[in-house]
Amino acid sequence: MGGKVSCTLGEVKQRADFIVYWGGNPAECHPRHFTKYTLMQKSKFLPRGRKDRTMVLVDIRETKSAKASDIFLQVRPGKDFELITILRALIKDQNVSDEAIADTGLTREVLDDLVQRMKSAKFGCMFFGMGLSMTRGKHMNSAALLTLAAEMNAFTKFVAMPMRGHGNVTGADVMMRWQTGYPFGITFNRGYPRYNPGEFSTVDVLVRGDCDAAFIIGADPGGTMPQPAIDHLKRIPTIVLDPHVTHTSKLARVHITTAPQGIAAPGTAYRMDEVPLPLKPPLKSPYPTDEYVVRRINEAIMAKPFWLPDGSQPQMLTAQV
Amino acid sequence: MIRITGGRVYDPANGINGEVRDLCMDGGSFVESVEGGRTIDATGMIVFPGGVDVHTHVAGGAINFARAMTPEDHRRTQAFIRTKTRRSGLGGMAPTTFATGYLYAGMGWTTVNEAAVPVLSARHTHEELADIPIVDKTTLTLMANNEIMLDQLENGEYERAKQVVAWYIWAAKSYGIKAVNPGGVAAWKWGKDAKQLTSPIEGYSKLTPGTIVTQLAQICEDLGLPHPIHLHCNNLGAPGNISTTIDTLKHLEGRRAHIAHCQYHAYGGDDWDTMCSETAQLADYFNAHPGITTDAGAVLFGDTVTITADGPWQHLLYKLTGRKWGNLDVENETSCGIVPYTYRPSNLVNAVQWASGLELLLLIQDPWQVFLSTDHPNGGCFWRYPEIIKLLMCADFRQECLKQLPDKIKGKIRLAEIDREYTLYEIATSMSAGPARALGMPKKGNLGIGSDADVVIYEEDEDVERMFGHPRYVLKGGEVVIEDGEIRETPEGREFLIKPACDPGIDDFMRPLFEECYTMSFENYPVELERIEHAEFADCLGSTRS
Ligand SMILES: [Zn+2]
Repeated sequence: MGGKVSCTLGEVKQRADFIVYWGGNPAECHPRHFTKYTLMQKSKFLPRGRKDRTMVLVDIRETKSAKASDIFLQVRPGKDFELITILRALIKDQNVSDEAIADTGLTREVLDDLVQRMKSAKFGCMFFGMGLSMTRGKHMNSAALLTLAAEMNAFTKFVAMPMRGHGNVTGADVMMRWQTGYPFGITFNRGYPRYNPGEFSTVDVLVRGDCDAAFIIGADPGGTMPQPAIDHLKRIPTIVLDPHVTHTSKLARVHITTAPQGIAAPGTAYRMDEVPLPLKPPLKSPYPTDEYVVRRINEAIMAKPFWLPDGSQPQMLTAQV
Repeated sequence: MIRITGGRVYDPANGINGEVRDLCMDGGSFVESVEGGRTIDATGMIVFPGGVDVHTHVAGGAINFARAMTPEDHRRTQAFIRTKTRRSGLGGMAPTTFATGYLYAGMGWTTVNEAAVPVLSARHTHEELADIPIVDKTTLTLMANNEIMLDQLENGEYERAKQVVAWYIWAAKSYGIKAVNPGGVAAWKWGKDAKQLTSPIEGYSKLTPGTIVTQLAQICEDLGLPHPIHLHCNNLGAPGNISTTIDTLKHLEGRRAHIAHCQYHAYGGDDWDTMCSETAQLADYFNAHPGITTDAGAVLFGDTVTITADGPWQHLLYKLTGRKWGNLDVENETSCGIVPYTYRPSNLVNAVQWASGLELLLLIQDPWQVFLSTDHPNGGCFWRYPEIIKLLMCADFRQECLKQLPDKIKGKIRLAEIDREYTLYEIATSMSAGPARALGMPKKGNLGIGSDADVVIYEEDEDVERMFGHPRYVLKGGEVVIEDGEIRETPEGREFLIKPACDPGIDDFMRPLFEECYTMSFENYPVELERIEHAEFADCLGSTRS
């Protein structure tokens, strides 16, 4: 059970006649999202554009996005998981008690109507934001919504995808996966990749004081991480590559100013649907690119004697311990 | 400069069958003779051209999706530890990029064909391929469900369709065309499938899967692609699909074609209970039509993860297994689905699949027509190829394995009645010379003068699986990369691509169609040639490159 049933944004633009935003506020957080990819676009399958699409917003409060929606469902805070579970039951015509429904802050009529609309859609899409994935239940909420989308395919075409934040977070995730098998929270301290978010995530390593140096590219943890993590960054040699002065660059031992990605440095950025976009810089910068700096550092490290004496370690483990 | 002396050489491309010969190489190619340099004494050893995988999934959005879905497998699998010359990585069902290169080279394979690339994410695929060391690579572009192309065929605009295909191949910087479930994946965009070759596809009034098959095969011919249409037939995996497969082959008649993973397309019966092997029928067809090739898509028992552009099939598999399901529909172009899967000998359907793959390899008489593959990772992981080689070379071992199947298998398969055993020469054909020829790569799978110096040397061993799993030496481009089970060098591989002739007006034709259905800018869509690391151009047939 579970998994992830998704599509690229062009599929939503072309086909989605039923769109749900759950725990997100695209009108304010992703201002071009409606016009570029979803609600406002016309297509050969939806020639009247917005008129051919139904939009539902599920959130704990009435945000600006509610104005753009046809149906707004105000779920009681912390009850997202319960609501998704109820929907999973209702689409399969299973019994759900009145108390359970009332507990979510919604009514049976509203939910029956929603289920009926979901099933009669030709192509449904559910976007979910931090309001779902970062509140009580966290990844359990996302997993439940992804499962609901998967199960809806027994009735009609349905997909779901997370609304990712800014920067090239998706790109880092994609690249780490092909090189190590894991998206983040990876340690190489045994010479090969191991994964345990909550143990090997940057914030956990810093809070425990487990690392004796930090190398930070394109992020500003000094502005967002808990104080014990920031204190540790101040204690150890912290090196920052950033075009700007940031909270982190101010506490760092070394700050190398680099050319800004996409503006003066080329590369690839991955969109929230994992479509790779080339960055073609319109400007030249007097500063080196991140890539150049990292390559130079890597060359200098390679010139040093290897960290382990020859033959002191196996090349391969047939089973991990 | 290297000279290999005294080995028994199996070089089917040049008709050399186990003769003791010397091989000399310099500058990455085989040469007449060398003065000086290293000499490898291969006396008593067996010398093969490096393996060529005609159909595998090692890089790009789909396999990377599979990696994300199987962290529990990464935790239990083999690990590569970083050394001064080697990056770290993980093996398993969906190996990481660096490990993929080490694992292929470690078993003597030196060229791989990544068989399913959406153009929209081709940039990603090439970035991953650049991180797969040692082996050379080719990629195939998914085309049989591309709606801009299908619209041309629907309107009877064959010439236009041909131009569109040529434009996409160059935009993706790829080597050829892959067709997956023609029309069925386009229908999946509406939650449907296409099971009848002669019925119109969902969303179209005239266009049928049969028309796509015929016309796309013809387009590949007319563009002179070095590798013909690479076709994943409709109705994959379904009981009774043999009739669809034979029907598809008839639609191809007179044209070159490569049929992917034929094991999944050779079933009789009406449902899962009555499903049986119909490999004899399919093998007969191949035996009577030497112009078409196929790869086995053999199944091995154990855990794996299935990944395919065949979205509707993956939805069915998810419903059958109740396991995790990943799906990614790609705008205008294709879909892909991912479902972890375990093949069990006790499961009647799996037992039929296991036997069918081997039957096809054994019943198709000419090893120049049927190649070793598991459709990695679908039927099993590529690093398990030595197990299949043993099954092909040892009839007794096959009989032994048949004993673990349930009694009810009787009458559903014919593997027990087949006593053919592959010779070394036939193995060399099926794992190297044959797939290289089918891919249109004359310098691969070939130990002749001027060819790429990709060689694998085995120490003769009665245990065939051990012998093929642990070559004594592997040379890639004339450089020793594996020696005594250790990785010596990790050179970067090359990527082969083609530039089919294209009408200069095609950009103006594509732009408005593109802008209607895509969500990225037209200028940003084609992969820049500079993005391909170590690009190597292959020529289209009957044309000179511009
Ligand atoms: Zn495949």
